[in-house]
Amino acid sequence: MIEIISTTNLTKTYGETHVVDNVNLSVKQGEIFGFLGLNGAGKTTTIRMLLGMIAPTSGQCYLQGKKVSAGNINTWRDVGYIVETPYSYPELTVRENLEIVRRLRGIQDKSCVSWIIKKLKLEEYASKKAKHLSLGNAQRLGIAKAIIHKPKILILDEPTNGLDPAGIVEVRQLLMDLAKNSGVTILVSSHKLDEISKIATNIAIIHDGNLIKEIDGKQLENQLKKLLILDGKERSAMKSILSKAGYKVNAQDRRISEEFLPMKIQNEDAVNNPDKIATLLVNAGYPPTLLKVEKEDLEMYFLRTIKEIGGNLK
Amino acid sequence: MNKIITCVSIEGKKLFHSKVPLITMLALTLVPFMGGFFMFVLKDPSLAQKLGFISAKAHIMGTADWPSYFGLLSQAIAVGGLVVFGFVTSWIFGREYSDRTIKDLLALPISRSIIVFSKFIVAILWCLFLSIFVLVLGLIVGKVVDIPGWSSDIMIRGTLVFIICSILTILLSTPVAFFASVGRGYLSPIGFMVFTLVLAQIIAATGYGQFFPWSIPAMISGAAGNHNVIIENISIIIVLLTSIFGLVGTMFWWRYADQS
Repeated sequence: MIEIISTTNLTKTYGETHVVDNVNLSVKQGEIFGFLGLNGAGKTTTIRMLLGMIAPTSGQCYLQGKKVSAGNINTWRDVGYIVETPYSYPELTVRENLEIVRRLRGIQDKSCVSWIIKKLKLEEYASKKAKHLSLGNAQRLGIAKAIIHKPKILILDEPTNGLDPAGIVEVRQLLMDLAKNSGVTILVSSHKLDEISKIATNIAIIHDGNLIKEIDGKQLENQLKKLLILDGKERSAMKSILSKAGYKVNAQDRRISEEFLPMKIQNEDAVNNPDKIATLLVNAGYPPTLLKVEKEDLEMYFLRTIKEIGGNLK
Repeated sequence: MNKIITCVSIEGKKLFHSKVPLITMLALTLVPFMGGFFMFVLKDPSLAQKLGFISAKAHIMGTADWPSYFGLLSQAIAVGGLVVFGFVTSWIFGREYSDRTIKDLLALPISRSIIVFSKFIVAILWCLFLSIFVLVLGLIVGKVVDIPGWSSDIMIRGTLVFIICSILTILLSTPVAFFASVGRGYLSPIGFMVFTLVLAQIIAATGYGQFFPWSIPAMISGAAGNHNVIIENISIIIVLLTSIFGLVGTMFWWRYADQS
């Protein structure tokens, strides 16, 4: 497949600080590339460099094979974008704001304004001034401005910020539809892995300016660690039996709301065969009151990945 | 060319949907009325005192005639224009940063220089309109007050000086756009305007006003006290160079500086 968005050794330094450090990205046509990182990890700086808003200290960005430069205005014809929270001219209505974008992008077909208003469900607010919009509707307007010209490339920085759950689902479906049915290449940044994982075909994690992991969206599921959670009336006896059987039990003795936290076992054998643990404990006379296999949630995976490379969680 | 026309009309729309045109018109409406008031008082101080417009302690200097009135209008546009025209320019550029809409103008199939240039065109056109508005209103107020000494020669000469002062003052607003862009908002350009205004007074007082761009329009208007001050070409060149610096500097800043 054709590489649509790419960076080579992309670096941005401010004084001594490497905000983005040798980042190499490659996004192919029709992919939804999830760009994940904590606040301040370097996501927005990378996106600004991709959009020619700031110049890299070293390295390059390419869109459709063309080197990104602020002066290369034809590059932007096929690009729609949102950088951080989108803002619009407050004293102009939703329709007027979109009309301005239509004209700036040189779109002759005036009906595209009504089309995008309908697509983003902004009909009710079309005559409302942007300053009177709710955060969610202002975000919808930002998305509308990004896709009004039906771009081939979408670069979206936290596009679902401020949207309610229904809005998040709508935007997710919209992006999947654009990628699948129109071949739009999408780079979407977020600090929420669970949200990204639902749409992304590929995920890259950036931390302290470094790209620390790239995962195929389909492989993500396999990378999530599983745990066996168990509890019972005689916790210490249970722990001792399991330890003797070779299982590493993680039991915390501190109470939370008058209750002990349940014990956890990470051993692959225990996770794959919880019945063996149940049998072992029942035979020893300590039947478990709780036994369940729990998958690591995506946020935990994200934080663990950062910790594994020695990253500092601020 | 089409892109410039599109951008100018968009910038015009943004300006006319704001309160800036109304505020600046109201601010400059005061100029001819203040001038007219002084002419009225100077024409017949005892009548003005009788009507209660001035107290017995009032000490207003000057003569009530058309040349003085035109001088007053030119001085007001040369000094007040620095503030009002500067305000218009600082709003047109600074609002993109304050409203955080600048991001939407940076990755478009229209060059940033065209956007900057269009903003300047709108700022200049509006400031020119304001100048003409002050002049026309000034003439009406002058006629209503019935200032003595009218002649077409005086009117042509007075109008010419007023227009020169207006154009030079408008040209001096380009560096304001540069400071609005570098300072990312309104604060820096307004600080810059106040600084130049104060410095213009001080430098004019030292006798070097003809070499300081922000003193030059006021000197041409006769604000330095000498109605026949002859401004050499160098002064005009200094104003033009300052204006070009503001225009090119702003374009370079939008094109090459990191827009983070």
